[in-house]
Amino acid sequence: MAFSIMERHKKIERNVTLLAVLAFAAVTVGGIVEIAPLFWIDNTIEKVEGMRPYTPLEQAGRDIYIREGCYACHSQMIRPFRDEVERYGHYSLAAESMYDHPFQWGSKRTGPDLARVGGRYSDEWHVQHLKDPRAVVPESIMPTYQFLAGRELEPGDRSADLRALYLTGVPYTKEQMAKAGEDLEAQANPEGDVAGFKTRWPKAQARDFDGDPAKVTEMDALVAYLQMLGTLVDVNAPAAQETLAKEKGR
Amino acid sequence: MNAHDPSVSSHSDELSFYEKRKGVFPRKVDGNFRRFKWAVMAFCLIVYWGTPWIRWDRGPWAPHQAVLIDLAHRRFYMFQIEIWPHEFYFVAGLLIMAGIGLFLITSAVGRAWCGYACPQTVWTDLFQHVDRLIDGDRNAQIKLQNAPWTASKVARRTFKWGVYLGISFFTGGAWIFYFADAPTLQREFWTGTADSVAYATTGLLTFTTFWLGGFMREQVCVYMCPWPRIQTAMLDEKSLTVTYKHWRGEPRGSVKAAVKAASPLGDCIDCLQCVAVCPTGIDIREGPQIGCITCALCVDACDKAMAQVGRPRGLIDYCTLEDANREQHGEEDAPLLKTIFRPRTLIYFGVWASIGAALLFMLGTRTRLDLSVAKDRNPEFVMLSDGSVRNGFTLKLRNMEGRPRPVTIALDGLPQGAIYTDEMEADAARSALAVEVPADTTRRIRVYAVQPRGVARPADFAFVLKATDKQGGGDTSQTTFTTAQGNGE
Amino acid sequence: MADMNKRIDEPTGVETVGHEWDGIEELNNPLPRWWLWTFYACIAFAVGYVVVYPAIPGLHSATAGTLGWTSRGDLAKEMSAADASHAAVRAAIAATPIEQLATQPNLQRAAIDGGRAAFKVNCVQCHGAGAAGAKGYPNLNDDDLLWGGDIATIHQTLQDGVRQPNDDATRMSQMPAFGRDGILTAAQVQDVVSHVGVISGQEKPSKAATRGAVVFAANCAVCHGGGGEGNRLVGAPKLTDGIWLYGGDRAALTETVTNARYGVMPAWGARLDPVTVKMLATYVHSLGGGEKAAPAVVVPQAAAK
Repeated sequence: MAFSIMERHKKIERNVTLLAVLAFAAVTVGGIVEIAPLFWIDNTIEKVEGMRPYTPLEQAGRDIYIREGCYACHSQMIRPFRDEVERYGHYSLAAESMYDHPFQWGSKRTGPDLARVGGRYSDEWHVQHLKDPRAVVPESIMPTYQFLAGRELEPGDRSADLRALYLTGVPYTKEQMAKAGEDLEAQANPEGDVAGFKTRWPKAQARDFDGDPAKVTEMDALVAYLQMLGTLVDVNAPAAQETLAKEKGR
Repeated sequence: MNAHDPSVSSHSDELSFYEKRKGVFPRKVDGNFRRFKWAVMAFCLIVYWGTPWIRWDRGPWAPHQAVLIDLAHRRFYMFQIEIWPHEFYFVAGLLIMAGIGLFLITSAVGRAWCGYACPQTVWTDLFQHVDRLIDGDRNAQIKLQNAPWTASKVARRTFKWGVYLGISFFTGGAWIFYFADAPTLQREFWTGTADSVAYATTGLLTFTTFWLGGFMREQVCVYMCPWPRIQTAMLDEKSLTVTYKHWRGEPRGSVKAAVKAASPLGDCIDCLQCVAVCPTGIDIREGPQIGCITCALCVDACDKAMAQVGRPRGLIDYCTLEDANREQHGEEDAPLLKTIFRPRTLIYFGVWASIGAALLFMLGTRTRLDLSVAKDRNPEFVMLSDGSVRNGFTLKLRNMEGRPRPVTIALDGLPQGAIYTDEMEADAARSALAVEVPADTTRRIRVYAVQPRGVARPADFAFVLKATDKQGGGDTSQTTFTTAQGNGE
Repeated sequence: MADMNKRIDEPTGVETVGHEWDGIEELNNPLPRWWLWTFYACIAFAVGYVVVYPAIPGLHSATAGTLGWTSRGDLAKEMSAADASHAAVRAAIAATPIEQLATQPNLQRAAIDGGRAAFKVNCVQCHGAGAAGAKGYPNLNDDDLLWGGDIATIHQTLQDGVRQPNDDATRMSQMPAFGRDGILTAAQVQDVVSHVGVISGQEKPSKAATRGAVVFAANCAVCHGGGGEGNRLVGAPKLTDGIWLYGGDRAALTETVTNARYGVMPAWGARLDPVTVKMLATYVHSLGGGEKAAPAVVVPQAAAK
């Protein structure tokens, strides 16, 4: 038995064409197993109410979050364990990061998880904390981000940003993409076109986030982003709980 | 050569890296050492088996088992002594004493531990006796071993292994009674309500006893146990070992052969009794070896053989290397006492005894009530509206007695200081607090110490714990008092 | 025939596999028995695992496994077990009026410990891990609690929050922005600051302070009291001690008098369950600044509840 397998194997090893064909077949199987699930990934994300693409201001805040490397110390993924759920809130759902490109799940928690930090503290707290973390959390080792408050958000082409995300599959409407610049302004400036913003982004929060109504700063963007995190899906609503209870194989 | 040639699949006999076990079927023997071995075995097994069942009254707050390793509550009870985890150095000291004790025994009387008291020896001996009871003596055992697997052999083997298993269960499994109240655990065990750990431990120990004692036997001593290797380094020319006195025995030959022989033969009649009785299956006549556990059964066997042919006993005997040399040169043996009490053994004994004395001293002087204080770091101090300063502390009151004890906590060196706990309000603060520490526990309390404005503030002060019962005693723990210098004063 | 190359290796006595490359041959040593059996055991385990646990991905989700195990179900079980283990104590705390907790040391102890845990999750972000607060966020360890320090009052402050517009029983008061709204001139503000400096023992009496005393009596005394002793009914801080929420130096005081302060705290009654709020109140009361239940006149809200 062992002898015959050895014999056949010898044929493969000595015939380069046969070896290439069989090697290709083997790699193909492996490749399909790894790649194929990606084509059906949308099926595996649970359907939940309330998830929406990020507003231009939130998206700008997210870019700052990534630029400053916040992900190096903060995760955005609450795992379904009691200790995490009791500290951070309901466990994260796949749907909650489906518009993240790239996702910010992270794996290292030098600081706390931020997946549900939205609405937990006041805007003022966030501003104070970002400017000088030690002022509100004496034992914190987080760097200070004082400069965010002073830097106005670079205007850039916000529509292009949204369009790029649209191409990766984030369902922005044409109107949302066209008015991105105005909406960015309006969300952080109570005197801007708040009404127009509200029609395009019905459930988004619009206010002066950084306590400085004169200009739209990077602080506005980052705080807007943080205050949105984990608030889009009402995970504790009865309907959501019922759906989640039916989920199998997770 | 063909792949199906049987010579290909059979491994070469010339060179093997694996020594296949040769069965050991020791013959029954009687004699002084055998009787001593029985006595030691009985003693060891009775002590092992009986100890957990000895009761010891410790009053209502502690278990009533004389020897109990209470892992769940982290206590170790041994008659009058109770050991807390932080006193583990007592156990460490005992283990060190056991280690040095082995050195001492080895240098004085050789591998006596291996030969008589080691659990592996005791259980192997027990199982070998079972073999003889069920299968008959050596020859019958060998015959059965080589016999084909007939129904009767299967039945006999099944029966024997069942007996092994029973012994393993009742002896090895009994280990669990050291870790919980024995009568309770036994009741729970048989009614199926004991903790799963108890069943798992019993299962594991039953299996190891069954396997190591029933099947592995001398292989444990020769291949697995590090101790024989260490002992070979421990032995010196004055250590007692079982020695075949070859200068007396050689050249060996039967009584008949001796008659025919041209030159006179030695005392050894080559009856192989010493080999037949050996529990590890060695031939002592090949000289000292790692397989020899110095159980001296061969001494018994040889003495008997010598008696039958009318020659003096002691052809195989306990003997030191030094005496062996003397005897070869026709000299007298050194006195036994001098062999045993020599500098090396005395030094070992000295070390062993001083550790023991130190442990006893510590046992006699250890405190059964103590206090440790951890100062709050966040916040380090609290400024109150009338200018007084408050510091918070966490006090751990440890009562190691088996009964509750009333104590007072007071301040020493904090002028006009007052204390209160987190269960009281600030206006109830006073100079000393009376609390009760439950039996055999550590009680943790939060204490706030307040000092009014404008009083000298020493950096250091102490909490003083005093027992207010008849027994008295107490403890003091230094700590610091923090203020914001020049702030708010 | 390839097996012609197979032979017994002289020094080891082991058969070779038959391959030979530049004189290098491979011995056909069998795998160690223990290794092989461990390997088979692993395969058997894997097969069993795939059957009983979620394992094989499908188009919509993975196979469920015969045990029906899910990480979410596991969590739910763990959470309900934890809840069940706390249930008796929580029920007892729920059934005991908060003023009575201190009469039951075990319940009080449990409430303090539970409160400490809840504090670490919900409160430390503003009040700090040691409850020592920060500028703008009160220190809960001291004996100068703005709205009152007995346990029922603390409980109400927690329950209804401070200056929460949607809560009828919330702690509500508003200091006028004396400077910004033009009630006082900048000079008057400085005079008042001097007066506060004097009554808090930070400054020596001066002319400015004397002028400030008049302004104080006319504008501030209604809430802060004639001597600056404060009024807990309206959360007006005591101004004569060394404890300052927003700082006690001239600059901070000037800022306070000019623009006023308006600290807020969430109404935790709306966010946490009643037992947790009760435990938090007990914990805060145990931090050292807790006071005895005061006469009803000082805390009418609490008494009315």
